[in-house]
Amino acid sequence: MKMRFLKWLSVLVWSAATLSPAHAALEIVITEGMDDARPVAIVPFQWNGTTVAPPQDMAEIIARDLERSGRFRPMAVGDMPERPFVAGQVNLAAWRNKGIEAVVVGKMMETAPGQFQIGFELIDVFKGRDKSATAMGSSAVIEARQHLVPSAGVRMHAHKMADIIYEKLTGERGAFATHIAYVNIDRSDRLPYKLFVADSDDYNPRVIASSTEPLMSPAWAKDGRRLAYVSFEKGRSQLFVQDIYTGQRQVVAAFPGHNGAPAWSPDGSKLAMSLSHEGNPEIYVYEVASRQSRRITTTGIGIIDTDPTWSPDGQYIAFTSDRGGKPQVYRVHLASGQTQRMTFEGDYNSEPEYSPDGKKLVMINRTAGQFRVGIQDLASGSLQVLTDTQLDQSPSLAPNGSMVIYATLHRGQQVLAVVSTDGRFKARLQARKGEVRAPAWSPFLD
Amino acid sequence: MSIYQMGKNVVLALVVAGLAACASKQTETDTSASSNAGTDTTTTQPIQQGPSAEELARLADIEARKARVIYFEFDDANIKPEYRDLLAAHGAFLAKNPGLTVTVEGHCDERGTPEYNVGLGERRSNAIKQVLQSYGVQASQIKTVSYGEEKPANPGHDEAAWAQNRRGVLSYEG
Repeated sequence: MKMRFLKWLSVLVWSAATLSPAHAALEIVITEGMDDARPVAIVPFQWNGTTVAPPQDMAEIIARDLERSGRFRPMAVGDMPERPFVAGQVNLAAWRNKGIEAVVVGKMMETAPGQFQIGFELIDVFKGRDKSATAMGSSAVIEARQHLVPSAGVRMHAHKMADIIYEKLTGERGAFATHIAYVNIDRSDRLPYKLFVADSDDYNPRVIASSTEPLMSPAWAKDGRRLAYVSFEKGRSQLFVQDIYTGQRQVVAAFPGHNGAPAWSPDGSKLAMSLSHEGNPEIYVYEVASRQSRRITTTGIGIIDTDPTWSPDGQYIAFTSDRGGKPQVYRVHLASGQTQRMTFEGDYNSEPEYSPDGKKLVMINRTAGQFRVGIQDLASGSLQVLTDTQLDQSPSLAPNGSMVIYATLHRGQQVLAVVSTDGRFKARLQARKGEVRAPAWSPFLD
Repeated sequence: MSIYQMGKNVVLALVVAGLAACASKQTETDTSASSNAGTDTTTTQPIQQGPSAEELARLADIEARKARVIYFEFDDANIKPEYRDLLAAHGAFLAKNPGLTVTVEGHCDERGTPEYNVGLGERRSNAIKQVLQSYGVQASQIKTVSYGEEKPANPGHDEAAWAQNRRGVLSYEG
């Protein structure tokens, strides 16, 4: 079916580049750690530059990233037996005696104004062949990198180093050098509804859209620069796609009724959405290049079909539907149209998202009146409730599938929280002013 | 529902008719008194007449239409009986003024998930729209918009706030 979507508006909204980044990042409170988190040490980097202190503390950023994964327990700087800057100075026995598995050392040097050379070495303390008391780390380096980085990229570079270290030690790709998008609502502000993009640790938050009216459902394209979202700025819902770096945006759906629940296809060419202009919310797929759309579900009057999400192979769309009375997750095979119900535990399952390997489904599950983040193994059908927080909403997976970020109610305020997909690590992002909702974790950024 | 509603309307109509009858009798008496007064040695002055039946009905209608919010039960889009008079007043007013349009907002409390709640809010605004149409309001006069849980009337996070947030709002602005 062919359909008319609105043309490019090319409205320059709020260019991210023109906004000065707000500092005062959110504090992350670990509410449940893992007993078997691996002990590692990130030694403060040597600093050589024109200022007393480096612009960013590389070791601190890396340590906090690794800690926030739940998989590692970085040693406090005060407990370190020595503070070397190169592997050749690392006394392996000293770290072995402290039970430390891996040590990271590094240097940061200002090579020109606003330009830095940053290097690190990762040492596997127990893999050193020489087990003598005097063996040095140079024999046990398992990764070493050095890069020239402009000052604006220093913090993201620290996250990239953390990604490399994480991958080397776990075998799984790191997801620290990523972004999160979310909606912040500060009712004391003239424009209470703000859509933010921040680093994965919530530093460097930047407003990409502000409105007197609600903004909802941000969804990242696979390129990590286009964000689809819903805005009520015209007194009704419209679905926009905005380039976060240029600020340019496009209306992709502005039909009567609701235009919502955007979800990008894995190849980035299509946008699934829920539209109600034909009577009730149904799932549609919009092809960005041709601006044509196709209706996927034909459930009929009175039924709500929403929250579409793509399987990683692009063959299925899972979605929420109350066609059976209560909202449950169904999936439709796009080629055949064949539809089957996926969730059976609990009386409310909604906001599904496939894990990157396609083997699991993360969703909001209601059991005994509690809305919690759940994960279902698709082969066995078994559901695990991951959280013990209140009124959980909007789960979004890290691109490596290791963590889920979601919105929850904590002490009378909506905040963001993260939980590992095995449910063993839980942390809360301390809210800034107002409420925080609708988090969306970006894809990998390179 | 319609029989109940009709009954109510009949009672209202009788009361209004009665008031109108009293008012017109009073007017006749006044008129005859002043015409009997005769010549230019006497001056007559009109006194302020009490509100007419139309005026009373108009005021009653305005009063009824001041209420523009109706509340719903959790996870429910059925309109409670106590809001039928309110919707009847708006419905009659809009039917009489086909040039006017109304926006019907549907809202939810924060429990559940945001996009699904937009769907629930849409059910609520559609339910209100249907009632208005039953009074002869044209579909083209009614715009519906669902904000789901995104625009609470009370930003609190307890039962009292939720009860205020599960609502439909009639808005004549814009």
